[in-house]
Amino acid sequence: MALLEVEDLRVAFGDTTAVDGVDFHVDQGRVTGLVGESGCGKSVTSLAVMGLLPRRGVTVSGTARFEGVDLLSLPRADMRRRRGSDLAMVFQDPLSSLNPVVQIGRQITEVLERHRGLRGEAARKEAEDLLDRVGIPDPRRRLGEYPHQLSGGMRQRVLIAIAVACAPRLLIADEPTTALDVTIQAQILELLKDLVDAEGTALLMITHDLGVVAGLCDEVNVLYSGRVVESASARDLFARPTHPYTVGLLGSIPRLDLPIDEPLEPIRGSIADVIRWKDGCAFAPRCDRVAEPCVDGEPPLIGTAHAHRCVMAEETV
Amino acid sequence: MLRYTVKRLLQLAVALLGLTLLLFAWFKALPGGPENRMLPDNATDQQREALRRALGLDEPIWTQYGEFLARIVRLDFGSSLSSGRPVATELADRLPATIELSLTAIVIAIGVGIPLGYLAARKRGTWLDFGAVSGSLIGICTPVFFLAAMLKVVFAQNLGWLPTAFRLSPGMSYTEITGLRVLDGIVTGEFNVAWDAFTHLVLPAIALASIPLAVITRITRASVLEVVGEDYVRTADAKGLKPATIRGRHVMKNAMLPVVTVIGLLLGSLFAGAVLTESVFAFGGVGSFVYQATTERDYPALMGFILLIAVSYVVLNLIVDLSYGFLDPRVRVRS
Repeated sequence: MALLEVEDLRVAFGDTTAVDGVDFHVDQGRVTGLVGESGCGKSVTSLAVMGLLPRRGVTVSGTARFEGVDLLSLPRADMRRRRGSDLAMVFQDPLSSLNPVVQIGRQITEVLERHRGLRGEAARKEAEDLLDRVGIPDPRRRLGEYPHQLSGGMRQRVLIAIAVACAPRLLIADEPTTALDVTIQAQILELLKDLVDAEGTALLMITHDLGVVAGLCDEVNVLYSGRVVESASARDLFARPTHPYTVGLLGSIPRLDLPIDEPLEPIRGSIADVIRWKDGCAFAPRCDRVAEPCVDGEPPLIGTAHAHRCVMAEETV
Repeated sequence: MLRYTVKRLLQLAVALLGLTLLLFAWFKALPGGPENRMLPDNATDQQREALRRALGLDEPIWTQYGEFLARIVRLDFGSSLSSGRPVATELADRLPATIELSLTAIVIAIGVGIPLGYLAARKRGTWLDFGAVSGSLIGICTPVFFLAAMLKVVFAQNLGWLPTAFRLSPGMSYTEITGLRVLDGIVTGEFNVAWDAFTHLVLPAIALASIPLAVITRITRASVLEVVGEDYVRTADAKGLKPATIRGRHVMKNAMLPVVTVIGLLLGSLFAGAVLTESVFAFGGVGSFVYQATTERDYPALMGFILLIAVSYVVLNLIVDLSYGFLDPRVRVRS
């Protein structure tokens, strides 16, 4: 059984549908990627699983079973007990994700206190160990400092320390390296990889960066317009991209082995050119291989190990 | 922090020096002049000239300013033209009443305004929010003297629930320690005095609190609304912390920063409101004294009062700025 099994997740903000029937699963101890461009619903999906979407004006339906328990129908107090202990999250922007007026140490110990009952010196000692584990030098001194005294990379390490403080079984990382320098990005990814490998933690990696996917993920789900359009092992996906959107994504990456004056191949149009999934393929308005069947009702998910949602794929593969 | 404090104290000295200069120039520019106030209307020009010489008003202007400064440093503001007593004594006698009134007003404003602003923000768009926002708008728009008079007419004269004026009922004996009568009554165990003083304090304090209360409510509401949308609040939520922890440590601690700044500014303007409120309720504080001094052209009294207000304004803001350093670590380091 999968650790996290998301089925037919739908999230709407008023009349605007952000997530339109997402299915995916995360297995124990594996790194699963959720990939797509801005606005495809990947962040909203992760916030919905964590129960962090605002309540007002937002409708969430579907299921997200964590070890068999549907997180979406849990009472709020129960979900609050699981957040930070069973499943934890690392956010995109380490500059704004730490409280500017609370000491680093307190921001770590409060989660230890809440879920592990650690207090006083025991909590401080554990916080120090955590900072040490995420590679922050002189951790004892850092505990008494404030976020603005740390660099961006350091702050992201602190956020990771907070997330892994209670040894969660699932760690969700929402674009954890987007706000960081390229050199720091690699270090942070390395750290995440080491941590999940050491603890057997499952990692749900949300990113728009296919380089991150290639370097880190075991499984990949490609999202387009609030729905998974292709799902495969990372190796398979890069070897045989099937959905035209995935093909387009890979084609638009600059490559070192091509002549320098070779133009990049962008996907034409924008994510705003869309039709509703129930009427046909949402990618059809931007797709080069579009044909009659594409806009003839909801495209089904085809295949199992390497699944995709393109009705034209049989002819093109 | 020490360097910052010293720097701020130096700034304070400069600000006060500038103020004395302004004050001096302003009083020089006023028409009339003290000799006209001190002498009867039918005094001869020789008599006026003699008094001017006696007061040193014929000296060069910078000598006069130097003398003026020297006396301020000695806390010698001269004698009140109305009562003949030293202005410093007059002010000192009345200051406790004003402090008691202002303190009560600011406690009401903070104690009600912050929770109300928080609730309005959390219940955004509900009737409670609407009530708080429109109520505070009315509070800001209503002149203090008008509200004070209305409260007095309705609750003291018509309904008779509270006394109409003064700080204690006539004939009540009282042991003075600090001059804050509610506090003194509690300290000395004269609880009947404390209660009586309290009933006299209620209406003027509410009148005086109205504007700061309205401002604090609005600032708190706006600030909380901004902070609850911050990423670090979401992080706190993602940690699964209890709502009370999120509210206290992550929302309010940040949301209070602008509120503290505004409270500092309000404290200063509270004195201006106190002048009007005290005269409506014959409260016997600095305010009533100044009201009288203004109508009677009592220059030394006015001068002393303006200096007192200015000093308390600058000092209170210094305290607020320093406390800001404790609340916000980012300010601490930048200094």
